[in-house]
Amino acid sequence: MNPVYAFVLLLVVAAIVGFYRLLAGPTRADRVIALDLLFAVAIVLSICAALASGSPAFLDVAVGLSLVGFVATIAWARLIDRQVTQGEDR
Amino acid sequence: MLALSGWVLCALGIAVILIAAIGLVKLPDALSRQHAVTKAGTVAVIFFATGVAMIAQDPAWSGRLLVIIVLLLLTLPLASHALSRAAAREMSGSEAKTRHYQ
Repeated sequence: MNPVYAFVLLLVVAAIVGFYRLLAGPTRADRVIALDLLFAVAIVLSICAALASGSPAFLDVAVGLSLVGFVATIAWARLIDRQVTQGEDR
Repeated sequence: MLALSGWVLCALGIAVILIAAIGLVKLPDALSRQHAVTKAGTVAVIFFATGVAMIAQDPAWSGRLLVIIVLLLLTLPLASHALSRAAAREMSGSEAKTRHYQ
């Protein structure tokens, strides 16, 4: 059996844990942090897809995901920052 | 031999990302959760990409994996800095004062 499938199983466990924090996080920053972990899991999962299928096209997906994750984290962090400093809490 | 050490490196990366997930659930507040996730996430993806590059041994794979690693090393410190500043400002109040963050 290909060990990639064991990797995918463990990554799904990590993603479920991240989704728990995404739903239950007390502050909005907690949810964005969980999103950060989910982006890392998604990058590793697409590298796993490349390894399982043998085609390097999925690595381009991983490159795109890392860029989208950066922009998304910056945007959410600035949104939280602006709302907190302008005093409209929650 | 190189492929075998590549698989070991991949398994190490998966273990580090599981540790990051445990830290995301167990740690008490947003700043310590951010500390667990962003650093361990970067290390995990770099370990996994290096391992896959050692398994594949193909320039088409290792070039793209190198692009991923360089992008992560350039962007993740910026993203985690902005995120931790937002987290610190959001919890600035009685909670942050009792935890000595300000």
